[in-house]
This record gives sequence, structure tokens and C-alpha cells, in this order.
Amino acid sequence: MASRNRTIIFRRYRDALKSVRAPASSSPASSLTTSAGGPVIELVSTSLINPNRSYAPLSTEDPGNSSKGALTVGLPPAWVDVSEEIAANVQLARTRMAELAKAHAKALMPSFGDGKEDQRLIESLSQEITGLIKRSEKKLQRLSAAGPSEDSNVRKNVQRSLATDLQNLSMELRKKQSTYLKRLRQQKEGQDGVDLEMNLNGNRSTMEDDDLDNMVFNEHQMAKLKKSEALTAEREREIQQVVDSVNELAQIMKDLSVLVIDQGTIVDRIDYNIQNVATTVEEGLKQLQKAERTQKHGGMVRCATVLIIMCFIMLVLLILKEIFL
Amino acid sequence: MVLVSAVRDYINRMLQDISGMKVLILDSHTVSIVSVAYSQSELLQKEVFLVELVDSISKSNESMSHLKAVFFLRPTSENIQHLRRQLASPRFGEYHLFFSNLLKDTQIHILADSDEQEVVQQVQEFYADFVAIDTYHFTLNVPSNHIYMLPAVVDPSNLQHFCDRVVDGIAAIFLALKRRPIIRYQRTSDIAKRIAQETAKLMYQQESGLFDFRRTEISPLLLVVDRRDDPVTPLLNQWTYQAMVHELIGIQDNKVDLRNIGKLPQDQQEVVLSSEQDAFFKANMYENFGDIGMNIKQLVDEFQQIAKSNQNIQTIEDMAKFVDNYPEYRKMQGNVSKHVTLVTEMSKIVEERKLMLVSQTEQDLACNGGQVTAFEAVTNLLNNERISDIDRLRLVMLYALRYEKESPVQLMQLFNKLASQSPKYKPGLVQFLLKQAGVDKRTGDLYGNRDLLNIARNMARGLKGIENVYTQHQPLLFQTMESISKGRLKDVDYPFVGNHFQQGRPQEVVIFIVGGTTYEESRSVALQNASNSGIRFILGGSVVLNSKRFLKDLEEAQRIARSSPAVV
Repeated sequence: MASRNRTIIFRRYRDALKSVRAPASSSPASSLTTSAGGPVIELVSTSLINPNRSYAPLSTEDPGNSSKGALTVGLPPAWVDVSEEIAANVQLARTRMAELAKAHAKALMPSFGDGKEDQRLIESLSQEITGLIKRSEKKLQRLSAAGPSEDSNVRKNVQRSLATDLQNLSMELRKKQSTYLKRLRQQKEGQDGVDLEMNLNGNRSTMEDDDLDNMVFNEHQMAKLKKSEALTAEREREIQQVVDSVNELAQIMKDLSVLVIDQGTIVDRIDYNIQNVATTVEEGLKQLQKAERTQKHGGMVRCATVLIIMCFIMLVLLILKEIFL
Repeated sequence: MVLVSAVRDYINRMLQDISGMKVLILDSHTVSIVSVAYSQSELLQKEVFLVELVDSISKSNESMSHLKAVFFLRPTSENIQHLRRQLASPRFGEYHLFFSNLLKDTQIHILADSDEQEVVQQVQEFYADFVAIDTYHFTLNVPSNHIYMLPAVVDPSNLQHFCDRVVDGIAAIFLALKRRPIIRYQRTSDIAKRIAQETAKLMYQQESGLFDFRRTEISPLLLVVDRRDDPVTPLLNQWTYQAMVHELIGIQDNKVDLRNIGKLPQDQQEVVLSSEQDAFFKANMYENFGDIGMNIKQLVDEFQQIAKSNQNIQTIEDMAKFVDNYPEYRKMQGNVSKHVTLVTEMSKIVEERKLMLVSQTEQDLACNGGQVTAFEAVTNLLNNERISDIDRLRLVMLYALRYEKESPVQLMQLFNKLASQSPKYKPGLVQFLLKQAGVDKRTGDLYGNRDLLNIARNMARGLKGIENVYTQHQPLLFQTMESISKGRLKDVDYPFVGNHFQQGRPQEVVIFIVGGTTYEESRSVALQNASNSGIRFILGGSVVLNSKRFLKDLEEAQRIARSSPAVV
């Protein structure tokens, strides 16, 4: 694919024209900037939103060329901080997700130990991730802006992009959890099956003994039964927790799906969005004008003025009454 | 994916090196160019959080210096003026300027002059100057397309604009493909000759350095032909999916606007028909109406199966699975309802206008001989009250194009009957068409009755029997492509520009139809490419025609020709 870079020619022309203009106008501008001295916060040239890139700090450097003094400071508006936070959360959630995957794998491996700490780690990680996603989602709602303007479009688009990221994260988390759940169930059934088998054998063996002995469970078997009950209860709890977080995430996903664009539909077309912007801005203007008009000639305003006048009249009458009586 | 991927590559290159929040500013032409190749969600992934048109950018004074502006414009004088104003009072932090075609030095000068605050970081030419609607089909969306029908003396400046736009578009195609072609044109068309010569001048003389690519053994071929060589194809009614939607409803930049058709739910009022994004459409766009109906029924059945299983949620696992698959489900639902809506609306229109009846006669007129039967059939349909005006006009035009010289008396009768019944169409449109595209003006053998070989071929086809009466027509382009594949394109009919010469068969061919292409022709090209003949064909035109558009162009041209003293 061919292309041609005209920047060099452009710069050459620009410098040539600047030197033609320079003697006349640049002196006041340059004195201004050199007297300002010190570091000036220049244009933000960092990637604020993209979580894949590393977070670079704001560049604070002297303006190199004197002509830049005329350009105003480029500080982003306040909502960019919110979107930055959400992006940082997403990044953190991703790293935690990787850790969770490792913890899942480790917990599923057959081990001699109790595996309680594995469980706790998994629990805490899942809760952390779910919490991150929930908080991000709440913050996302704050990004919505009222009124049609260019800034609100930027905000809406930033919202959409973050919503897509969050939705992908939550789907990934749920998928991981459901596979873990499935494998956990398989393991549990396996264990129970073994336990049951043992119990069955145990029962049969006692049946073969004296009838009296049948009435009383062997201590050994009692202990085994209690242990398998406790195990089952624990597994139930774990499964319940995972299911709870699955439900939570489902709720979040439902909320997010309103914001996310369906790919391949008309809403995903650039020209459709431009048209819509134009019409919504116009509509907004019309609505504002209408609101202004109705407010001016509004019944409310008239009513209020009439009432105030009546109040004054009554007050005057009252004073007069007091004076003459 | 050839053309679409070229445009996508250009856009990716534009956006990749610029970090941070960006705003993309386009003009009314580049909006179409970008919209067919790139989606909004992909832009969001590249951190482009605002897309605006260059004329509305200047209206607001809000300073958004935390955004970097990426401009992608055509290098026209209006855009340069807009840029001048923008650069004089810049609203954004950085300015990156990309132009879709060659910049003149004076334009760079003007921009450099107005960039007093030195906000411009780069100025580049990225040659994505065409709308890539399908893999092998592009268009230029030229505004006053009808001007190609008029002689140069009528409106020389507008004609020059038209030619410039076409030459720019063709140059952009070859720059994107990194090739420099041998150029041939249709002998009988002045405008084709003009465009071919101007393109050759640009590629071989004015910007020969830019076009000096690595020479392959066999150069590709650019063939410039005129729409009026095959006026039959745009007049026919279509029965394959994409062509039919365009003919009955209208497709613009792969979007279908259904708002005028009927009461539809909000999300179905405008739909996207793109073979890149819609797998069902990709598989069915060249199928005929009957097969589409069956395939859609299959699609609906599949969808209903999934919907039923989704309703049957009993365990928490089912619920989790449902939530997992919900985006897929929603996408499928949207897709199914889109296709069902389209086919329903088209069936309604076919029923209203009795198109099955009309189209049978049309196809006979286009493909089979027999003047007497044709005359009878057309007369019957003209007498039928339920046939609409536009269909009557098309029938008479098709008859006139075929039997222009045979039995002029009967032709006159038809003219009179048409004039008496359809007052909306000013009389003489058919005659105007004949003057433009009559048998004397055409090069190609439109009806296959010029030389013995073609007559024999036609007879053989007739004996073999036709699969489907409604799709028996083959556009003239098909014959042209066959001749090129066999290396038998006649020099007499399609001469080379200057002293170009081609040895052997070309492996890449770009055919440009001045006046517009049709979806029937793009189908022909796609099927030819799929047949693995070793040659890759790309088709392009100034617009994409359907019968309404073609008739509108004729009317406009006729109106101007009438009011101009220069035309005899």
C-alpha cells in the first residue's frame, strides 16, 4: 500500500513562512514564554484509557519553541479522572484474573492437604474481582452526561469502550468460575461415591454380624459419616458462593449490555452515529429553546407573580386596618 | 477482502502511532469510505472517542485540547479552507492531517501558512479514495453522475470535475494495490477515452515517480468502458438477493433505509447488509429469491430451536449458560429479524407491482429473439392497468433497445401508447435513451447477434434450456471478462492508450464503468473470480445503479440537453 509523507515539505514551508512573519510578531510572544520560565504542564500526551499500555506520567517540560506559548494549557476535564480509575481497575482485575486461574488449577489438583487455604485464596480473589467490576460499573454510570454536546459524545463513547471491557472481564470470570464449579462437582461426586460405597460396605458388613450390632452404628462409621457430612456441607457452601457471584455478575452484565454496542448492526456504523449526533444536537437545541419559551411565558411564572402581588396587597390592607382601627 | 482490507490498513496506520484520546474528523465523502470498512466499536478500541464532520467542527468553539485530532479528508479546496480556519484557532491539542489523494503544492503552502501555532504534527497522503462496498467492487459516489451522458461543450467545468474525481479514484485504487496498469478504453465513448488518457498522463508523466512500482512480468490491465454500451442491465429487474434489495428498496454504502417502506420497529428501520460482517448474507447474496426464502426459513427454524431451549431454564447452570450465550443470542435475533423483514418487504413489493409477470417479459426482451411475440407481450402489459408507470417505461425501453431498427411503425405505436398512459415521464425519454445508447453507439455485442460465433452460442444455450427464467440474463460485462481471460479482447473495439502494449493475458484486471455499475455485474465478477481462472477482476463505477437511478440520470441529462443551446 503506497503512501506519501508530505510532512517534511510542510515543515519547510512552515519554517520559511514563519521566518517571514517572525520579525514582525514573534518578539512579544517569545518574551512572554521566556519570562514564564519554569515547567509548564504541556498537553497531555499519555494514553489515559488504553489499559494495554503502560501508564506514563504527565509530561512536564518547558515549551521548546517560542510559538507554542500562545497555545493554552491542555488539562483534561474532570471526568477523565473517573475513566482513568476505571481503566486502572480493569487492569488490576485482569492481573487478579490470571492469579485466580492459577489458584483454580492448584485447587483442582489432587492433594493430601486440606486445601483450605487454596479455597480461601480463591474466595478472596473472586470477591476482589467481583468487587472491582461492581465498583467500576457504578463509576461508569457517573460518566453519563446530560445534554447534547461534543464533550458528552466523547463521554458516551468512553463509557461504551469501558463497558465493553468490563463485560468481557465479567464473562471471562464467569466462564472460569463455571468450569471450576463443574470440575469441583465432578470431584465431589467422585468422593461421595467413594464414601457411599464405603458406607454401603460398612452397612452390609454389620448386617452380617449380630442383629444387636446392627442397631448401633459403629463408632468408626459414625466418625466417617460425620466427616463426609462436614465435607459435603463445605462443598455445598463453596458451590453456593460461586453461584452467588455468578448471579451478581449476571446482573452486572445485564446493566452493561445496554451500554455495549452490538457489532454488525446499524448502531455500529460510523456514519449512523454522526447523523445521530447531528440530529440529537439539533433536537436538543430545539428542546432548550422551547423550554426557555415556555418558562418565560409559563403559567407557573404568571401564577407566582400574581400570588406575590396578592400577598403584598393583603399585607397593605392589614397594615391599613391596623392603623385605622 | 482485497479492497476492504486496503482501506482498513490505511486507517490502522493512521491511528496506530498516535497515543491518547483521539477525535477523527472526516468529510462527507470520507465518511462513506471509512464507514464501510471500519466499525464504531473498532474505533473505540483504538481510543477514538469522537467522530465528527469537518463542516460541523468549526461551529463550536469548545476547546478540547486533551484530544488529538486526526483529519482524514479529500484534498478539495473546500476542505483546505475548513482546515485553514481550524488551524488559525486550533481547538485540539495535536493535528494529524491525512489526505485521501494527491495534494498540490499550493495546498500545502496554504496549510503551512495558516499553521501559525505549529499544531500540525504530520501531513500524509493515504490513498483510500474509494468506497469498498464488496471484496471486488468499489464505487466513487460521484454526485452529478448524469453529466457523463452530455457532450463536453454543454458544461465543461462540471465535466472536468467529474473526470478529475474518477481519475483520482482510479489512481487511488492502483496506489493502494501498488501497481501501474496498461490502459485500454472503449473506442466509441469519448468520455471513456478522455478518462483513460488523463489517467495515463497522471500515472506515466505527472506522477511517474510515485507510480513507479516494482514491475511484474505482466502488467495489470485497466479497462475503461461506458455504461451506455450496456444500457439493458440497469433497466432489468433483479432476482438475486443483493441486487434485488438494491433494485426494490435501495442500498447506499451497504446500508438499507427501510423508513419509507412501512411501520417497522425502531431497530429495524435502517439495517446493514455487509458481506464482511454478516455470514448469512455472505453465503446468500448471490442466490436467487426462491433459494433465499428456503435458507431464511432454515435460519428461522434454527433460531427458534435456540429460543425454545433458552426459555427452558430450570437449574442455575442453565441460567449461567443463558447469560453466557446472551450476546450471541441477541446478535442472532437481530440478524434473523433483519433478513426476515427484508424478504417480507420485497415480497410485498413483488406482489404489488406484479413483478413476476413483468420480469418474465423483460428477460425475454433481453435474452431471446422474436420481435412479433415481444411486441404482443409488451402491448399486453401496457394495457394491463395494474402495471406501474416505471415498469411500463422500462418495458418500452427494453423493447426499443432491441428492436430499434425492426418495424419502426410498431415502435411508434408503443411510444404513443406509453405517452398517453404515463404523463409523469415526459415524452422523448425513450428516444433520448436511443440517441445515447442506440445500436449505432454501442461497441459490444449486447444481444449476441452480431457475429456468427455469438449467434451459435445463443442457439446452443437456448437448446440447453434455461435453469431459471428470471435470472437468464448475463450482463455484457461477462462477455468482456471472458474475452479478456482468453486474451481475445479486440484492439479495434478497445484500443490501448498511447503506445501501451500487452503481451499475454493480464493477471489483474480493473474494469471501470463510467456512469455506474450494477450489483448484477458485481455478482458476475464475483462468480468469475470464484471460478479460479487465474485472473482477478475488480469492478468499479462512478455510482451503483438501479433502474430508478439510471432513469433519473437519463431524465437529468435530457433536461439539461434540452435547455442547452449547444446540443443539437
